[in-house]
Order: sequence, then structure tokens, then C-alpha cells
Amino acid sequence: MSWLHRLANTLRPRSLSRDLDRELAFHLAERADDLAASGMSTGEAALEARRRFGNRTVLTERTHDRDVMLWLESVLADVRYAARTLVAHPGFTAVAVLSLALGLGANTAIFSLADAVILRALPVRDPAQLMMVEPRDPKHPGPSPSADVDFTNPIWEQIRDHTHVFTGVFAYNSHTFDLSNGGLVRHANGAIVSGAFFDVLGVRAIAGRLLGTGDDVRGCGGVAVVSGGFASRELGGAAAAVGRTLSLDGHPMEIVGVSDPRFFGIEVGRKADVFIPLCTEDLLVGPGTLDQRSRWYLQIVGRAAPGLTLDAVSARLAAAAPGITEATLPQRWSHVQQAEYLGRSFGVRSAASGFSDLRQEYDKPLWLLMAAVVLVLIIACVNIANLLLARGAARQREIAIRVSLGAGRARVVRQLLTECVLLALAGAALGVLFARWADLLIVSWISTRRQPAALDLSFDWRVFGFTIGAALVTAVLFGLMPAWRATRVDAHALLKSGGRGLAGTRRHRMSRPLVAAQLALSLALVTSAGLLLTSFRNLASVDPGFRRDGIVLVEADLSRATPDTGRIPAMARGVLDGLRAIPGVRSVSQSAFTAMSGAGWNEYVLVPGFTAHDPEDSLSFFNQVSDDYFATMGTPLLAGRAFTPADGARSDAVVIVSRTMARRFFGVDNPLGRTFRTPVGDTASPPFRIIGVVGDSKYRSLDETSSAMVYLPLGSKAGLQGWAEWNYEVRTDLLAPSIVPAVRDAIGRVSPAIEIEAHALSSQVDATLARPRLLATLSSFFGALALVLAVVGLYGTLAYDVARRRNEIGIRMALGAAWRDVVRLIVGDAGRLVLAGVVIGAALSFAGTRFVGSLLYGVAPQDLRTLAGATLVLAGTALIATLVPAWRAVRTDPTEALREE
Amino acid sequence: MARSKSDVLQGTIDLLVLRSLDVRGALHGYAITQHIQRGSADTLRVEEGSLYPALHRMEQAGWIRGRWGTTEKNRQARFYAITAAGRRQLAQEQESWVRLTDGVNRVLRFA
Repeated sequence: MSWLHRLANTLRPRSLSRDLDRELAFHLAERADDLAASGMSTGEAALEARRRFGNRTVLTERTHDRDVMLWLESVLADVRYAARTLVAHPGFTAVAVLSLALGLGANTAIFSLADAVILRALPVRDPAQLMMVEPRDPKHPGPSPSADVDFTNPIWEQIRDHTHVFTGVFAYNSHTFDLSNGGLVRHANGAIVSGAFFDVLGVRAIAGRLLGTGDDVRGCGGVAVVSGGFASRELGGAAAAVGRTLSLDGHPMEIVGVSDPRFFGIEVGRKADVFIPLCTEDLLVGPGTLDQRSRWYLQIVGRAAPGLTLDAVSARLAAAAPGITEATLPQRWSHVQQAEYLGRSFGVRSAASGFSDLRQEYDKPLWLLMAAVVLVLIIACVNIANLLLARGAARQREIAIRVSLGAGRARVVRQLLTECVLLALAGAALGVLFARWADLLIVSWISTRRQPAALDLSFDWRVFGFTIGAALVTAVLFGLMPAWRATRVDAHALLKSGGRGLAGTRRHRMSRPLVAAQLALSLALVTSAGLLLTSFRNLASVDPGFRRDGIVLVEADLSRATPDTGRIPAMARGVLDGLRAIPGVRSVSQSAFTAMSGAGWNEYVLVPGFTAHDPEDSLSFFNQVSDDYFATMGTPLLAGRAFTPADGARSDAVVIVSRTMARRFFGVDNPLGRTFRTPVGDTASPPFRIIGVVGDSKYRSLDETSSAMVYLPLGSKAGLQGWAEWNYEVRTDLLAPSIVPAVRDAIGRVSPAIEIEAHALSSQVDATLARPRLLATLSSFFGALALVLAVVGLYGTLAYDVARRRNEIGIRMALGAAWRDVVRLIVGDAGRLVLAGVVIGAALSFAGTRFVGSLLYGVAPQDLRTLAGATLVLAGTALIATLVPAWRAVRTDPTEALREE
Repeated sequence: MARSKSDVLQGTIDLLVLRSLDVRGALHGYAITQHIQRGSADTLRVEEGSLYPALHRMEQAGWIRGRWGTTEKNRQARFYAITAAGRRQLAQEQESWVRLTDGVNRVLRFA
């Protein structure tokens, strides 16, 4: 076993064991004393003693190696013995490994997702020093709970130039570029950043140069930096990419450099491939954009000097706040708004792990799922503990023999624990495979068309540590108690008794509370799964206020087709006519916004006689639509009339409102002829006159409460001016992919420079269901898993009891008990366990479901019907688990059972 | 583990050490070598190179237990004492030793 020697060598500490050294030094000293006593001089004696001793280092090493090797050997022997035992009981081993694999795999899968989405720091230099500026309300000191961290360019410039709290700071705006030059869009994720971006993050170039503060000049030309991945994917490598020109949103930009392929930006879940400097805003959006004081779109991230805390940086920013707000005050705001603006302050939050829409959306669900999988693992542990208890009872003879042969109790416990560790590690290995697969599946579930989740799920040390740690904790959890009990034997008495076993009743006492606990935990999991399922079903069947099927949504960006915004309405009209002419198309409408697209338009509404308690109450959503919009979408007209083509040309503004708008602001169902205005700075707009009322439609998401909606006709002077991104709702029986070529051709005939994107409206609505669907699916899976594990535990306990009580049952039957009585005995036994589980589980559910509360739609966290349903499911499954042991008990042959005694 | 001729030697060392500890109580390594040397009238000498690995091996096996203590000369030394398991082991080894030497003697007489 030379490898054992090698292993021993690697385990040898540099200075060997100090104890051993001391021991040998003592030996030398004693020998030298003896030699000196026999007449040698002290120096000679010491020399002679050392000479006789031979090479002390070699001896030390040899003795130490012996120690390590003996330890290793005993561990190896334990492992070999454990492996043999496990192989000898394939049924037990398979059940244990499989349930551990599911439990540990689920934990690894969810943890590695949570790690990637929530925990992991950005792969940049010293991420802990990165801080993100956030707005603060001086009236409510402390970190801002708001997710909104957008600032205007003037604020960014003030913070860059007039505060000196960061060693480096940059502005960031996430942007999806269109690489096409007209026609169907080709998206590239990227960002518009200020020059210091790469420098502050410590990212290096692999070709050309990255952006620098030299790029932060007004009137700059178009340059771009692309990621290493993008360069090799799209441009034939980093070297070839530099110097080429990309068309980004229709503007030519020269690639000046390629960034490190490992750098994915600072948004977790979204890979950024193209970076252009902030100064190009004047080019992309229009001259003067950078000076706009109410265009909120920049995130500001800085690197604090080492040692500065979030509070220290926040305090310095707060001190600078009055100067910043004064210099950036939006001129056209009302006095009230301006006064509020001047009172605003700033602070910072940590940006060590970047920021992420995905994280905001899935932070809570992931922790919830984490809690669920931990419970599943606990249930699996209890199961195996129960199995081990049963086996411990069966192995008493073996253990008694080992104890009587001189093995200490600790030694036997170690042996039994080795088995558990082996089981747990096998389960973990299998579970990791399961987790890899599960993670890919989950990522595909949470990816939507607009937000594909790009996550780094590589198996890093943290995930590895988590899995191994969980496996070891698990092994101790399920292994220690049974091992301790199994070794608490009176070897003498046991061997004398012929090995029938004495600990049966003791094992019995332990396993019943365990089974009840399993049932309770699984009831809690099944209940929350039921709640999330109900919530998902409610959401999926919500009436959005329009017919979502059979509509292909065509988004057309006309801004590049003509520099003259005055020509856009006519071109948009041309697109509408072109789409209507496509064969197989029933009707087409045009609108500025579509439901659940992520974009929206809202305004405050001034209605005589309506006073809002909260300013938010007087907000209404707006949309501008063509005359056949309601007919195409299938939104019912409740009162008045729909738009006609003539409505857009009128000199007064006519509108159609939703029912909620009518009720909230006018208190009636048909406020036809009534008017309202919107605020414009400190004055008010001309009046809008209501000519019709339509049914409510969902605007941003399916779970919103009905919102107030105002529809303006196309061409209305009160509508959006110069708006170039129009949506067309195409009602057709054809599927989206088959109609796209015809759509492209029809729009291309109007102008080849129009940028087009087309997809089914239903997929856009479905995308908003990604999170509830994920929660419902996974919690159901974990609930079912918990249920199966718990019921297997119940079955195991009952089956064991029946086997143990064979004798008693035989006597009862011999004394005239009918099969009904026997069944009642077993079922009653199970019933008491289930009842205990249900009572504890219901209490657990009531305590636990409030964590689920905010994720539910249309169902209360303490919904009794769901709890009752879950209880029924549990009881039903438990009954099935009871039937087999009960059947076996009934079939007991009294004579045979008694003969065994 | 290689089971080679060192086994015999190792077995003898175990026997000698266990016996010394059984007779004399707790001893440190040096005292064990002295005891064996004197007890065998200088015919047997235990090499340090085999003694300490053997002591550590026997300690791991649970036959002896080592503990730090102070000698009369006020030096720190590790004292070894025999355990119950060690006594059982000693009995076994003694028995097999007697059987072995008995067998060897018979062969010598027979020849």
C-alpha cells in the first residue's frame, strides 16, 4: 500500500508532532544522563547518546507515519466494512441513497440558484468596495427601501464633479441595442456607461482599448466596446473586431476595444455584450438629451476608499445633497414638486453583488423554496433515521458481539456513523447530478423573451461546500441518534437471549414521534404548495379584459425611417393598411402601448369634485389607439360609442375611459359628456371629454387591481407627439411564426428602415406568469416529495410494528378476534399518528404561510379550504400506506405465529 | 499492510513491552528499554527505531494508554500504562509465544 505511505507523507505536518519530539528528546536526555554517570563527560555523553539513537528525524517521521497510517487504516477499514454492509442490504441502501439524493439534490439546486442570483459577488476587482447611490428621504432616515435608483444626467455630473467620496465612480444605463438596420430586430444586451466604468471595475481589455474618462465629452462620435464573448461569436475574434463598425439602434459605432470575456457587466442574470459611452445619448436620442433634468435613467456606482462604511459614504453624500438638487432642479415642474425635489437627499447601498431585476423578482421566492427543500431534507433524514433505528434493532446481535470482543462504544458509534457518511456522500454525488439538470430546467422556466436569465451556475467552491456540508450535517442528523441507541446494549443479556432483541419497544418509542413530525412537516409543505397552486390558477384564469389568443403583436419602431417626426403618423397609417392587406388577417389595430409589455404611460387626472387622499389615487394609465382597437382586442364597449377615424382630427379632445376610471373619478358607470384635465406644470391641460366607457383591462400585470384607463384616438392633438414606436395588434388564425415573413414584407414596402419585432400576445401575457408558475410547479414537486417520504416513513413504522406484534396479533386471533378488529388495531394506530401530524402540521402551516402571503393572488394565506384539502390528501395517502401492513396483519396465521414463540 | 518477517519481531516487541508494563506499572519509553535490557540480562536490546513506532501503534490499538507526567529528575516524560484490552492481548501473546518456543524447542531436540 505505497499510496497509503504517500498519503501519510502528505498528511505529515512540517514540524511533525511536537509531542513526539518531546518524547524522543526526553529519551535522549535520559540516555545521556546514564552515560555521564558511567564516567563520560557531559558533551561526549550527549554525542554518544545521539549516535546510538541513530537518525532522529527518520525515527520521528517513522513513528508519526505509523500514527497517521494507523488512523487512515482504521478509517479505511471502517469505510470498507461500511461499504460491505451497505452492499449486503441493497434495498435499504437504495431507498436511503435515493431519498438523500432527492433531498440533497433539491437543496443543491436551489442553493446554487440563490448563490448565482442573490449571494455571489461580482467577478470584478474588490467588489466589496462598490456602492450604489440611492435616493433618500430626509424625513425617513435610513436606507431606502425603494428599488428605484434612477438619476438624471445632470445629477450624475454633479455627483461626479462635486462630491469626493469615491475613488472612482461611473454612471450606468442598461440598454438593449438593435443590431439590424431596419427589418426584423436583432437584439444585443448592453449598457450605456460613463467613461470610468471599466476602470472602476478593474476590467481589462483583450484587444484595443476600453472606454475612459476621455470619452465623456459632449458631442462625441460613436464608439463602442464589445465583450470577448460577443467578439468571438459575432465578429470572428477579438483582434478582428477592433476597428469594425456596428450598427447600434441604426447608428454606426466604431468598435475600439474588446473586454475580458469573463466580464458580464454588473447586472446578475443579464449578460451585457455592447458598451457605448454616455455622451452618445445626444446622438441616439437627440441633441440636448444629456441636459434634460427630468429624464431619470442612470444608475450611479462608485468605489469607496478602503475602510469607508456605507454609513460614512451616505453621510458625505447627504451633506452634498442640497448643492446637487439646487443645481439640477427641473425647471418645468410645479412649485410643489420643486419644493419636494429640493428636499431630496442621497445615500448608498452595497453594490458588491451588482444589481439585478431577476434578483428583485426572485429574492423572496428563492428563500421560500430554500426553506421548502430544507424541510424536505429533514423529512428524508427522519426517514433514514427510522430505517436505521429498525436496522439497529436487527443488528443488536452483531453489535453485542463486537462490544464483547472489546470494541469501545465510541468505536462502534464511529463505525455506524461511517456508514451514514458513506450514504450521505453517495446521496450527495447523485444529488449533484440531479441538481445540474434541475437548475437548467428552472433557468429555462424563469427566462422570458424580454428577460432571458443568463446565470453563472458553474459549480463553485461555495456550492460544493454547501453540498458537502449539508451531506455531513445530514449524516450526523440521521445517524447519530440511531447509532447511540444501537450501541446502548447489554451485550451479556442480549447474547444470552438468543438474539431475539430487547430494544424493540425502545425503538418503537422513538420512531413514532419522528413519523408524526414527518407527517406534520409534509402537511405544511403540501398546504403551501396548495396555496401557490391556487394562486397560480387564479392568475392564469384572470380575465385580462381582452382576448389574448389569436393576436400577433407587431412592434414597429419608425424613428429610423424618417428624420421628420411630422411624417411618422402617415407612415404608421401606411403600416396599418399594409398589415390589413395580408391574407388571413381578420383585423388590425394600432396602439402606443400594449398590455404587459413593461412600458406604460400614466398621468395625474384633475376631475372637479374628486379629491385624492393620496396623490397616487389620482393617477390614471393612458393609451392612444386606433378606432378598431377595442373590436380587435375583444374589449367590450359598455356605454357610449367607440372611436371613428374622424375623432383624431377633431379640435377638441375626446376620450374613452375604462369602467374603473368612470367609477373612481365620477362615481357613475356612464359619465358620458363629462370632462377632466391633466396638470401641465402649474396649469392644467384643455379638457378631455368622455364619449364612451369600455371594460377594464390589465395594463402592467395580471395581478394588479383594475386600473383607471384613458384611451385617446390616433392623431389626437392631446396625445403623444412625435411618438415613433407603434404597436399593431393583428388578429389572425395563423400562428405567429408563419405570419412574420408577410408582416416583414408589408412593413418593408412602407420603409425598409422600420425596425420590427413580432410575437404572440399570449406569450407576452404568459411571461408575466413565469414566477407564479415556477413557484407553483416547484412547491408542488417538493410537497409531493415530502408527502411520499413521510408516507414511506409511516409505512415502514407500521410494517415493522405488525412484524413485531405478530405474536400478539396471533394470540388475539386465536382468542377470537375478527379481521375487522385487527384492521381497527392497525388503522387506529396509524390514525393516531396521522392525527398528531395533522394537528402539529396545521399549526405549522398557520405559522408558516404568512411568509407565502405576499406571493399569493386571490387566496388568503390562511385559507381553510386549502388546509382541509391538504389534510385530505395527507390522510388519503396515509390510508393507502396503512392498508398493506393491515392486510399482512389480517393474514397472520395464529397457529404459526404462536408456534414461533 | 505488508505482512513480512518484521511481524515476528513486532510481535516480540509487543509482548516484551506489554509484559514490562504489566509487571512494572506505568513506564516511559526509556524505562521500558532499560527494563527489557536488564530483565534479559543484557541479551535483548530494544532499538529506539522500533520502540516508539510500536508504542504509538499499541496505543492506537487501545492496548496501552500514554500520559504525560514528571520523572524524579523533574523531566516531562510520556508514561505508558497497560489497559484491560492490553492484558487480554498480553495473555494471548504469551500463550502463542509459549506455543512457538515450545514448538521450536521440540524441533531442536528432534534434530
